[in-house]
Parts: sequence; C-alpha cells; structure tokens
Amino acid sequence: MLKTEINELLTHTGPGTPMGELFRRYWIPALHAEELPENDCPPVRVKILSERLIAFRDSEGKYGLIDEFCAHRGVSLWFGRVEERGIRCAYHGWKYDVTGQCLEVPSEPENSNFCSKVRLTAYPLVKVGDILWTYMGDREQQPGLPEFEFAQVPAEQTYTSKRWQESNWLQALEGGIDSSHVSWLHSGGLKSDPLFKGTKGNEYNLNDLRPFFEVAEADGGLFVGARRNAENGNYYWRITPYVMPSFTLVPPRGDHPVHGHFWVPIDDENTWVYTFDYHPTRSLTPEERQAMIEGHGVHSRNIPGTYRPMENKDVDYLIDREAQKRGETFSGVRGIAQQDASLQESMGPIVDRTKERLVSSDTGIIKARQKLRKAVEALRDEGVMPPGVDPAHHRVRSAAIVLPQEQSFIEACRDDLRARPGVAHTSV
Amino acid sequence: MTTPQRPILLNSCARAATAEEARFRIDRPIGGRAALVLALDDEAADVVDRVAEKPWRGARFFHAGDVPFSQLEAELADADVAIMIATADADGEVAAALARACAERGIMTAGLILGEQLEVAGAVSALRPYARNLMVTSDEDDVAEVLTALRA
Ligand code: FES
Ligand SMILES: [Fe+2]
Repeated sequence: MLKTEINELLTHTGPGTPMGELFRRYWIPALHAEELPENDCPPVRVKILSERLIAFRDSEGKYGLIDEFCAHRGVSLWFGRVEERGIRCAYHGWKYDVTGQCLEVPSEPENSNFCSKVRLTAYPLVKVGDILWTYMGDREQQPGLPEFEFAQVPAEQTYTSKRWQESNWLQALEGGIDSSHVSWLHSGGLKSDPLFKGTKGNEYNLNDLRPFFEVAEADGGLFVGARRNAENGNYYWRITPYVMPSFTLVPPRGDHPVHGHFWVPIDDENTWVYTFDYHPTRSLTPEERQAMIEGHGVHSRNIPGTYRPMENKDVDYLIDREAQKRGETFSGVRGIAQQDASLQESMGPIVDRTKERLVSSDTGIIKARQKLRKAVEALRDEGVMPPGVDPAHHRVRSAAIVLPQEQSFIEACRDDLRARPGVAHTSV
Repeated sequence: MTTPQRPILLNSCARAATAEEARFRIDRPIGGRAALVLALDDEAADVVDRVAEKPWRGARFFHAGDVPFSQLEAELADADVAIMIATADADGEVAAALARACAERGIMTAGLILGEQLEVAGAVSALRPYARNLMVTSDEDDVAEVLTALRA
C-alpha cells in the first residue's frame, strides 16, 4: 500500500515533477538504433518523460534529439526534410542542426543573423549498443555514458527489441523486480520456450512454487534473491539485480542468453520497454536470434512496422482459452512479454496503490519503491546524486546458482554479480 | 485459437483499462494485516520501540528478551504475519522457535536485519532458514515502510 501522494510522486515523470527530475539525471534509452538506420533518413517522433521530441540523423551521421515543434509557428518537424547537416521545417523552411540551433530563416535578408538567436531545446543522443541514449537533465551534471554489459558486448552477442506498453512505468518495472510471479504466469514458457527450456534451473523453479526471498542493497539499487530447495539440502538461488531508476536483469537459465529490460516512461500512462538478450562470452546462434525476432523468450511479436505487440488490449490480447485450459499458457496469453503487459495494463494506466494488499513476498517491490522515494527526496531537497547514475553501478549481472544452506548469496556471489568481460555468467 | 469475441460494451473487453473506467472499481474498506513484530536483540528493541509509537491498525510489538515464549505463542493465535527485527547480535534460537510456532499455524514469517551487509552476515544466516522473506537494510525506516505497505 502506498499513500496517494507517494503514488503520485513515483509515477509522474513530466518536466518539473520530482520523479521526472530524478529520471533526468540518468542516460535513458530514447530510440532503438534501427529507427535511424542511415544518414539523412526520415526523422522519428519521440515522446519520453512527457516531452515531445524529434530524432534525426544528419548527413554526417550525427544524431539529434530536439523539440518536435518548429520555433516559427509550431509545426511538427516530423514533416521536415533531413538534409545537409540539419532538418528543415516543411512549412517555411527554417532549418535546425542536431544541437537545436537554427541555421537558416529563409524569409530574412541574406546577411541577417536572426537565426543565431533561435534555438530549440536539444538533448544529446548517443549510440551505445543497439540503443540511442539520451540525457535530458542539466548539462553540468551529465554523467558518463551507460556501461550496461548488454550494450557493451560485441554486436553478435546481443539483441534488443522494443515494445509499447500501455501503462505507467512503475507497474511495468515492478513486474521485473517481482520474480514470485514467474512460476505461475510464465510456467508454460519454462517448459516450451526455445530460449528457456531444457535447463536444470527450470526443474527447481517448477518443483518449488513457494520460494523464499532475500532483498539486499546494492550500490546502484538492489539484489533480490529468490531461493528454492535443491538436492541435499542445498538452495537454488535466482538473483535479480535492479539498477535505478528502471533497469532489471532476469537471472539466467543454463547456457541460454541472459535477458533484461529497461523501462522508460513515454508519459504517465505509457511506457517503452526495451528488452535485450545477450551472452557475455559467445555469439547468439542464428536460431536464438530468430527466436528473439519472432517474439519468443521475453521479446514481443510486434505488428510489422510498429513497436505495438500483436497481443494488445484492442484485441483482448488474443486470449486463447483452450491453450489456457490445456496448460500451455497459464493466462491464455501468448508470450512472456505480453503475459506481463496484459496483466499490468489491466491494472489501469496508473494503478491505485492505496488499494493494494501486499504480502511479505512483495518485499522487493516495497524496498524498490522506498529507494526511489528516498532518492527523489534527497535529490529534490539536497541535490544528492541518485544511485545508478555512476556508470560503475551499471556493471552488474544476474546469477543462478546452487549454494549450501548457510551461505549468503550476496557474499558467495560477489564476483558472479559483477560484469566481468570475457567471463561466462554463473548459471544453472 | 478461438476467435476473439466482439464485446458488446467497452467494459467487457480489455480496453476498459482506462482511467475513466477506474472510477467504476468497487471501493470498500480494506482490512489490515494482523502483524506481530518481534525485536530479537537490544538494538532492534530500540528501533521497534520507536516504530511502535506511530499509529498502526493492529500491529503488536514485543521484545524477545522481555516476554515469555508462551505469551508470544498466545499472541500468534490471531496474527497472520510475524516480522522479526534484528541487528548484528540477533539470537537465532528465538527466531527458530517462533518460526516453528508460525509454521504450525500457517503464519507467514519475515525478517528485517538492520546494518551493513558484512556486519550482519551472522544474523542473516541465523535467520535465513526461518524467515520466508528477508530484507537486509542499513535504513531503519524500512521497518515502518514494510509495516505500512502490509497495512499492519
Ligand atoms: S512553422 Fe516551421 S518554418 Fe514556419
Ligand atoms: Fe513476468
């Protein structure tokens, strides 16, 4: 349960809101790199943190992310022409570069320097891995670029997809922290999904539906450990890292690639979910890559040409009651991603957390909310830099491991929970 | 796959998940959680005393050292969650006894261990078998935070 004021504090991310200010201290995904595939390609409309922007890639390959609307009379620059190191408004031809600087106002005399006084808001846009990242905060405070392992490994070892979720960012993120739903909602996938099936860990998962949970603090956020019984009195641990504000990693299964998500507020009622799969030490196989493209694992199957999943709310998520009855899917919805999204969207655009009845297995969620609230308040009241801004905090890994009863996962797995280039992940 | 059936009203399909439709969610008082909060050591007892001063719905607070175990057992009769609060010197034996009593009665157990990870490692392994949900935290506010979240 959260009080109304706290629920609003955590869920509203527009300009000037405290949570919005927190998000503006981080590099966050703004686009999938495939959206701007070549120089001078068509511009893309982007809305994040409730700001409408236009992204483009100029003739020299520089990326720009600027105010969507022309300074002259407010036309959308989406109709603009991307040409000769800038984007030109379709209405009267004003032209801007990637820094938002106006380069030309054609109606002015040739020797006028009026254009130098016109500048649109612009944010940096930088490609790291398959993602174009932006930083929307105060330039003085701009941190180093993201160092998440999935975005650092060679291109053959990583794959990123993107989908639109019609709910507030926080309820989407909370699904990533709460691993207690996996043995229920995703039980079908553990048995059949090409990117999950056939590992020892799945057996532990399915044989013990009442995991114990242990939540520990990390420099950039949290580690949430879920333990189930293994053989000989040992424990099977699955450890989920959360890096603030909205990055989660799923614990691995066997030698399958590792996956995770970045949850980015579009506005208060919509979220971009960036979902990745990577292997720290080997290339993804063609079969794995194909399965990801087809929306297996934690990826979605999108309507061609869009980032909207086929299983969306307009079509009741294509719910298949017979598959539900047969036990192929627990909820009747196909695919892990939309199994999550369908439920999270059903909560309403911003779930009313004053009405929840949390139980103690929701401790991870309780702690994550508390960390967010404290970070928001510390930033607002004292200007304290929040956890997860420092790129060193990005270098975490998830892990799946069998440990003797008395061992603490946080100590036994100190190295396993750090990204170590060239070293395989710890997985069962 | 079955053919999706076309709903007759907006509220009979998934598109009813709008803010406007949220107005029609049934609103009625939500019950609390009868929590028994037990401090396992002296330092934890100080924290529990501070937390106990806030208004709670039905949470009851005890110090392991001050009450006979039989009284705790009696208190469990109408509890539905037992939350153990500990610091580095937590006594694993009380935790074990309480966990056994909870297991017999089907009562959920949780533990909050206050302190830096390294300092409280012993307490964590002492409590691990007995608390279904453990949180290790350096922030005392988490005790009240968890109780509030559980409507205790
Ligand atoms: S509105 Fe863009 S140039 Fe006139
Ligand atoms: Fe899920």
